[in-house]
Formats: sequence, structure tokens, C-alpha cells
Amino acid sequence: MILLMILTVAGPLAGTVAAACGARARPAGWMASAGALVSLTCAVWLLVTELHRVPLRGWGGYLYLDSLSCFFLLTVAAVTLLASVGSVAYLSAEQDAGRLSAFQVRIYYVFFGLFAALMLAALETGNLGLLFVLIEASTLASAALVGLEARASSLEAAWKYVIISSFGVTIALAGTLFLYYSASGLHLAADYRLAWPYLFSHAGALAPQSLRLAFLLAVVGYGTKVGLAPMHTWLPDAHAEAPSPASAMLSAALLNTGMYAIIRFLAIAHARLGDGFPRAVLLTFGFLSIVIGVLFMIRRGNFKRLFAYSSVEHMGIIAVALGFGGLLGLYGALLQTLNHAIAKAVLFLTSGDVSLRYRTREAAEVTGLLAAVPVTGGALLLGSFAVLGSPPFGVFLSELTIVRAGFATSSPVFPLLLLALLAVAFVAFARTTVAMVTGRPPDESGLAAPRAAAVPLGVGLVALLVLGLWIPAGLDTLIRHCVAVIS
Amino acid sequence: MQSLSATSAAGVLLDLSGVVILLLAFACLGSKLFNRYVAYYGAQSVVLSFAAGVAAYAFHSIELWILAVATLAIKGIGIPVSARRLLMQRLDLKRDSALSTGLSTSLIAGGALTAFAYLVTRPQLLPHGLVAAAVVPLSTAVILLGGLAMVVRRHTVAQLIGWLIVENGVFLGAITLVATFPFIVEAGIFLDLVAGVLIMLVFVSGLTRRLASASAAELRELQG
Repeated sequence: MILLMILTVAGPLAGTVAAACGARARPAGWMASAGALVSLTCAVWLLVTELHRVPLRGWGGYLYLDSLSCFFLLTVAAVTLLASVGSVAYLSAEQDAGRLSAFQVRIYYVFFGLFAALMLAALETGNLGLLFVLIEASTLASAALVGLEARASSLEAAWKYVIISSFGVTIALAGTLFLYYSASGLHLAADYRLAWPYLFSHAGALAPQSLRLAFLLAVVGYGTKVGLAPMHTWLPDAHAEAPSPASAMLSAALLNTGMYAIIRFLAIAHARLGDGFPRAVLLTFGFLSIVIGVLFMIRRGNFKRLFAYSSVEHMGIIAVALGFGGLLGLYGALLQTLNHAIAKAVLFLTSGDVSLRYRTREAAEVTGLLAAVPVTGGALLLGSFAVLGSPPFGVFLSELTIVRAGFATSSPVFPLLLLALLAVAFVAFARTTVAMVTGRPPDESGLAAPRAAAVPLGVGLVALLVLGLWIPAGLDTLIRHCVAVIS
Repeated sequence: MQSLSATSAAGVLLDLSGVVILLLAFACLGSKLFNRYVAYYGAQSVVLSFAAGVAAYAFHSIELWILAVATLAIKGIGIPVSARRLLMQRLDLKRDSALSTGLSTSLIAGGALTAFAYLVTRPQLLPHGLVAAAVVPLSTAVILLGGLAMVVRRHTVAQLIGWLIVENGVFLGAITLVATFPFIVEAGIFLDLVAGVLIMLVFVSGLTRRLASASAAELRELQG
């Protein structure tokens, strides 16, 4: 089992090794995809065999896997697979067009694999200190992806990303330190001092003032990675400037990894401090993020920025759902995480195909997608409606669950406000994407996206549709187990 | 649990180092010339490595000795020397007047942040039996001052050093309990720091080539 866990993490490194050994774009891409497939298979395997048993532990608590880690492993591994298959098509097209050098493509695959592996590793550790180390390392690996194209604007985005995120995560380290202080009354063995399962089961003995500070610092710190407002300022730039498959990874995998860290802290804080304080913190940051995300979505500009602000909004929704709490709230939050990850991966991969074809990232310059490239146009249209929460896609179901949770656990003001904001988001987002899809296509044509690019789009949309109509029994059990782990 | 009492020689030395580190953070904040700014950061790291050495001696911890030496070599000597070389020789930068607020304003803000740090982490609020509890508010204040330096300084390298000051603050906080802070975590934090500085320097030199100046004030392309 330990071997399986290691294999899950090591899978994406296949692409890194291939690229480091000098493989060209296509072989390196296929190696990365094969590695991601290995990861996903291992994650599913772990899920099928270990779901009902006790958490896996190894190496003195550094290696730790319970249902919650399993759920996030599944999400991140699935997104990595979609993004690596997307990378094969996108990067080789960019290289053929002469926009990326062979060296840049190699750098891309080296850091892409590293980035994915570090995130997966972060999900498999039970030590909160090591969690920090791995999340910070994944920031650094992904910064190389953001700055890959080496234009002034992408270097600026990479700088902003690396400096703001590093600072944010350092704040989270201070939070970890205060958690450690709050446990100093306990006489724990050295190995267990930062071990999440141990701290969680002894939460009742933690010092409350110090824990309160720890939770707040962790939400602010890891919230910087998640993109919670007002710490979200790096996010639109980084998502807009990174190559599209890397944007998909940032939005659908990295943000979730940050949220995973917050959930770990939330579980401890909730066990000691009760409902009030964690709820106030999460609702504040959550609603602020939704409002900021929605307001910036109204402006029509770069469509990748539009998708990025939609990520800010969705992370806000997840934070609000965590704040509502209870079975419904936590269930909704986790389901939303999975749905948003798939939908956003599809959208960012589509944005790559669009920018190949139209050579622009400005929404106003893109018209007639459906006529010009029906597959991409259709995926963009369906993906937009999926991410906005229209039935019959999965996001509808999870957002409905979250609103129900709001009515069940708090005053009706909050869920009503949420509904109103979702309606504004719908209009703002669809206004731009529908205009891109409809109308007359331009006469001159750019690069057609390779056929392989359609595969991840189709797979993602089908998954979203299935999740909207029917939640598989295995997934339902898994999410229920996750909720049991943290409450 | 191994512990230091606040009145033991090691406890007093740790408290004292904490105070000096805070003062040096203020010195960084208040220095207008770039080379002084970098030099004060180096001095702060040297004091930090001394504090780590004191803790290593008190706890008889070999890992802490390793960390103390690594802090001295990399943060105290390596980073300041290479930053000076980069700034003075390659970028030909003598002084950095690019502050977004006046010096006095930023110093007053720093004082307010220090007071705030004491308000939220005063020793009475922390769990009883915590050793060297006085160091906790000091390290919180250093973290906030580093953040302030990142905000008011316009040059990218100055922002980088601001982040390193934040990191020093966290490390100071970690030392007080570091004998039981797992070594693998400490070492990982250190590796992240080194990798972070390297990748940031790559971006800084890339920006310098593109914009002929790596001042963050020039970074105006991405807005909204």
C-alpha cells in the first residue's frame, strides 16, 4: 500500500524525467500523460481498497492517507491527466508555430511533472510542517510555468505570483507555528507534534487563543494560494499568462490543494472552538471572494482572466460552503471542488485552442467560434454553462446542495445573497462567452487545434454531465467518509 | 519535554537575540541606501544563527547546529554578498529611493505593527509553560515588519529581501521550540527558501533585461 502511495506521487515525474533526458515535445507529452494515468489508476485503486478501513500511515506520520486525502488525490490526479493530454496537443502546436523553443518545451515538461508530483505529495502527508514545505515547493515549480513564455508580461505575472504566494504561504507557516504553540501544553512525542491525526484527536486540549490565531493565519496564508479575496491579486495574472494547460493545472489542482490545507486546519479549529469563529472567518473571506470575482467578471477583456475570476468566485463558494458546515455544507463543498476542477480544466484547455486559432486572448476579438471550430466552440459553450451551474451539469447539483446547507444552518440572508450573486455571475460570464461562440468567424484563419486536443474536452464534459445526473455510489460513500474524517 | 526557562542564561540570550533581530528589522525598514538595507538583513541573519546556536547548545541538538551553520553561511553571508554583487555591479544601482511612502511614515507604521503584534500574542494569551514566550511577539513583529518592507519598497530585489525578513521572523519563532520541531521540516523550509531565492533571481534578471529596470513600479502591464 505504501508502494501504491509512492507510485501515485511519482507518476507525473515520468514526464519530468523524459524531458530532462532530452525528449521532444510529443514523446515527453505522452510520457507525462502516461505518468498521470498511472497516478490516477493508483488513486482509484487506493480508493477502492482502502475506503472503509483505517487511515494508512507510514514513516512516523509523514505519510498519511485518509478518505479526505484520497478524494483530493482523485481530483488532482484526474486534472493532471486532462491537462497532460491537453499539453501534448497545445505545446507541440505552439512549437511548430515557432512561438516556443525546444528548450522552453523541455522546461515546461520538467516543471509540469514536478508541480503535479509536489501537489500529490502534499495531499499524502499528515505532517502539517511538511504540508507547508510541499505547498511552497509546488508554488516555485509552477512559477516557472507561469513565466515560461518569457515576455515582459509573463515575467511580471510570474514575479507577482511567486512573491505574493511565497509571502502568503509563509504566513501559513506562522499559523502552523501557532498551532504548534497551542499544543505545547500536551506532552507529545516529538514525531507527533505536527501530525494532523494526533492534533485532531487531542483538539480538546489545545490552547484556544493560540489556536484561534493559528486558524486565522492559516486561512489567510493558504487562502493566498486558494485565491480568496483580498489575497487573490496574483491569480488572474498568473492564469492569463501561463500556457493554457498550465492554467488548467493552477486553477483546478493548485487552488484545491490550498483548500485542502485549509480544511485540515478547519477540522482542528472546529473541534476545539466550535461553530462560531471558523464560520465567521470562512463566510467573510468566502463572500468577499464571490463579490470580487463577480464584479471583475462583468468587465469584458481577456477571456483567460474571465475564467480566472470565475475561479476566485468558485473558491469563495467553496469557502462559504465550508463555513455553513454540517453534513450538507461539507458534502456540497467537496462535490463543488470536484465539479469545479473538471469544468475549469475543460474551459482553460478550450482557451488554449481558441488562442491558437485566433492568436489573441481578447474576448472582443473572438467571434464565430461555433462556425469556425465547432468542437472547441461547443466545448466552450457547454463548459461555460457547466461552470455557471446550469442543469444538467454537476455544478448545479453541488451549488444546490450548498444553498440548502445555508438554509439549514444559518440565517436565510446568506443563501439568498449567494443565489443573487450566482445570478449576476451567470449573466456576466455568459455575456462574454456566448458572444465569442456566436457570430461570423473572421476570414483569416490561424492554427487549427490538433485533433488530440478534443479528447480531454469530451472526457471532461461527459464526466460533468454524469455527475449532474447521478452521483456514483462509490463517490457518495467517499464524500461521506471525508465528512466523517473532519467532523 | 526539553525546555528552557526564561531565567536561564540560554533563555536570556534568546530573548536578547530576539530584540536585536527586531531592531535590525527596523533598521532595514529605515535605511534608504540599498547597500545598508542588504547589510542589515545580513546582520539580522547572523544574529539569528547565533540564536540557533544558543538553542542548539541548550538542547544538545546536532540538527540545530547544522541549521545554525547553514543560516550563517547562506542567509548571513551568501545571500547578502550575492545580492550586493547583483545590485551594485550588474544592475549598477547605488541607492533605492523608490519607496511608496515616506521613510518616517513607514517607520511609524512599523511601530504600530509592533504594538499590534504584542497585542495579539502577548505572553498571557499563550499557553502556560511555553518557554521563552517573549520571543513569540518579537517574531510576530519581525514577520509584520518584513511584510511592511515588501509593501513600501518598490524594487523587486528589495521585495525579495522583505520576504527573507519575514522568513527570519518565522525561523526565530520556530527556534524557541525547535528542539522538538522535526528536522526534516526545518530542512525542507530551508531548501524551499534557497530554491525560492534562486527562481526569484531568475525572474529579476529576466525583468531587468526586458524593462531596463526591475522596479516593481514599472510593472504596470497587468491590471484589473
